[in-house]
Amino acid sequence: MATANSQTESDSGNSMLGAGGKAPELRPVIKQDVASFEEALLPHLDAAHNLARWLLRNEQDAQDVVQEAYLRAFKSFSGFHGSNGRAWLLTIVRNTSYTFLKKNQAVDFTTFDEEIHVAADEFASPATILEHGEDAELIREAMDALPAEFREILALRHQEGLSYKEIAEIAQIPPGTVMSRLARARGKLKEYLAARIGKEK
Amino acid sequence: MNCEEAAKLMDGYLDGELDLITSQTIEQHLLECPKCDQAYKIHGSLVRAIGNATPYYKAPAELRERIQSSLRDEIADLPTRNVARDTQPLFARREPRPRAILWETSWNWLALAAAIIFAAIIAFTLVPRLQRPGADQFLATQLIASHVRSLMANHLTDVASSDQHTVKPWLDVKLDFAPPVVDLSSEGFPLIGGRLDYLDNRPVAALVYQRRKHFINLFVWPAGPGAEKAMNTISRQGYHLLHWLDSEFNYWAVSDISEKELQEFQQLFEQQIASH
Repeated sequence: MATANSQTESDSGNSMLGAGGKAPELRPVIKQDVASFEEALLPHLDAAHNLARWLLRNEQDAQDVVQEAYLRAFKSFSGFHGSNGRAWLLTIVRNTSYTFLKKNQAVDFTTFDEEIHVAADEFASPATILEHGEDAELIREAMDALPAEFREILALRHQEGLSYKEIAEIAQIPPGTVMSRLARARGKLKEYLAARIGKEK
Repeated sequence: MNCEEAAKLMDGYLDGELDLITSQTIEQHLLECPKCDQAYKIHGSLVRAIGNATPYYKAPAELRERIQSSLRDEIADLPTRNVARDTQPLFARREPRPRAILWETSWNWLALAAAIIFAAIIAFTLVPRLQRPGADQFLATQLIASHVRSLMANHLTDVASSDQHTVKPWLDVKLDFAPPVVDLSSEGFPLIGGRLDYLDNRPVAALVYQRRKHFINLFVWPAGPGAEKAMNTISRQGYHLLHWLDSEFNYWAVSDISEKELQEFQQLFEQQIASH
């Protein structure tokens, strides 16, 4: 008698709204998931925000993208077995940022060939640029004016202080490309500065 | 090495990402080629300027709260789905004694929790021990490279002074921390000067001391949270590395003087800081 009753109870519980008796058993484990997720990845919130902010150039968009990236990360957290949580999270932030940029057609992709542009003219860099080296506003503006892939690599290197290996992982490029892309990014920044400073004079 | 190659490797060199041999070849080239040397200097200033002048956009506090509450919302949706889909077969298979089932399942969760805790304990105690030697070895390579480079490229010091009151302020404004600087002239380890360096993915202070004709590079950077007092030595390629930690800083002394003298140096250094 009691047997039959409990059978129907559990059946109805399963098919209807989530079985009052069952949910409390699942919740603790999921809560624990959230706790370990937060413990592993919330320390990298500043890094995530900084990268998104440089990529999107807008505070509100950056916050939306970071929130979205954290949700995506949470959903695939069980698949993460690496030791570098920051690099893993930044990869997701980066991909989410690009999806956002594409959707809003704000992508400033530019095509590059690897060979050229390590050019001799970089030697002839005007010393006047250096006088403006401390002009934070001007340098920030110059970096903001660069294409996304350059803003990204400069932020990862100069602000996150990441190694070439980590940058390659996050930006999903071969390690050998990191140096040449950084060189081009800095070269472009220099050109921008030279042009701006030239104009002012 | 010709100028074209030197130009190609410029960023890798300035970022400290080249191997020791290539770095040394470049330094040799820079000694012989004023044009490239100038280019490296200018580019180096730009690289430093980018790092110093661009803002780091820290996340506002409300973003953390937003994320945490969105995670809560996310799991609030989960249990119902899980119960409806995943647990049904499990439930049907079991014999229908509700109390026994309850007891059994919670016991399973307990076992799972215990397993997780156990795994965490293993991970926390074992993994750092497994990883540390590798990380230390890697750092040791970087430290020796840095030491060798400082001696061979005629770039031992950025600020040459035996006066700790000159060296310290110079470093303080360049770094985001204030390394302790003491002069040990009277003890036979005169301070030669200070330098900026880049190690372990961060800018560090390098204090340069002399012992007779030998030099000691003392690299200093803030200790991470949870750092414990520790000391160890590594000897490689004829160099000795002495590592120690105090409550605030990580110290790595690198030199070709004997291990014993290096330890003497460390003790004197510690005493001087303590008396300051």
